[in-house]
Amino acid sequence: MATLNLSSLQALAFHRLSSSFPQSTPTLSFNFQPKPFANPRPISLKPYVSEKPRARVVALAVKSLGETEAVAVSPEDGQSAGELPSGSGVYAVYDTNGDVQFIGLSRNIAASVAAHWKSVPELCGSVKAGVVDEPDRETLTQAWKSWMEEYIKVSGKVPPGNESGNATWVRQPPKRKPDLRLTPGHHMQLTVPLENLIDALVKENKVVAFIKGPRSAPLCGFSQRVIAILENEGVDYESVNVLDEEYNYGLRETLKKYSNWPTFPQIFVDGELVGGCDILTSMYEKGELASLLKK
Amino acid sequence: MGVTKEEVESSLKAKLNPSHLEVVDTSGGCGASFVVEIVSEQFEGKRLLERHRMVNAALEEEMKQIHALSIKKAVTPDQWKQQQESNQSNPAA
Repeated sequence: MATLNLSSLQALAFHRLSSSFPQSTPTLSFNFQPKPFANPRPISLKPYVSEKPRARVVALAVKSLGETEAVAVSPEDGQSAGELPSGSGVYAVYDTNGDVQFIGLSRNIAASVAAHWKSVPELCGSVKAGVVDEPDRETLTQAWKSWMEEYIKVSGKVPPGNESGNATWVRQPPKRKPDLRLTPGHHMQLTVPLENLIDALVKENKVVAFIKGPRSAPLCGFSQRVIAILENEGVDYESVNVLDEEYNYGLRETLKKYSNWPTFPQIFVDGELVGGCDILTSMYEKGELASLLKK
Repeated sequence: MGVTKEEVESSLKAKLNPSHLEVVDTSGGCGASFVVEIVSEQFEGKRLLERHRMVNAALEEEMKQIHALSIKKAVTPDQWKQQQESNQSNPAA
């Protein structure tokens, strides 16, 4: 009985909230596009079709912005340990003054906040997170709208990060590192032996992968596999295209002697050869690679 | 004609004296390509990188014509036996 009353009040509050902005609602900027489900969950059949039950469902999908407690974002890793959920839902980012900077939705709230922290740490003081169970696109969007409308009702404006044209909070596609080049070009005469350049390269960088083709488009399956593994590990690594005859002329033969390894790709960690694709794959599958990279 | 599967098997048998050897020719038109599984006592006490180097060395001549060599397994007879027993116990469990 008490529960039913609370639900009714919640639905009534939601209804009033939405009806308060019939025409004069400021334009909502949808800065974050959720990725479409590859395997959408089956839609559960609902017995009611009228508007009120739908409103009640939406209201129950996520707590109101005002009722949600804020969690401080720690400077170490951009998220409080275990306090931010890694599930789907809506979240609001507050700066250190307690002002809302951005309201977004995400398939992984903790990951999104961590990404925001990395790009604009000065704007991330604390976060409110509202988890949405059974997060299909419509439910997530409705939850996001309900938080936006609630904020607009209180403040009379749109959060700065959600204004049209503001790209601060949009996830940027990760920029691929360029492949390294050992020489300024084929036409230049080397004053240092190539093996010295190789030696310095593998010792000055944590991880170096000598691959066939560029890292953005490896030209053989083994090099492709190696790049995929390193990307999955999230490690910072350098790559060298051994087929680049302009800037890496003579590298293939010199490297084979240097490493005592006849094929490519070749992966070096901490200045030592780890091996080729087979060994890297084996270590990756056994979890040994992650341990090696953390040393 | 390039390297044959028989030549690869012959070199590995002569130099590593394996108790088990499986060579699969995976050449697909872009050069000779092989997948190797090999069991040998000579791998005792050697880590994975050295074992792969031993296989590469045994195929030194053939490597000049091989486009891609994939060494899926390079284990000692004891490890091989353990893996076999492990595989047999899995379906039962």
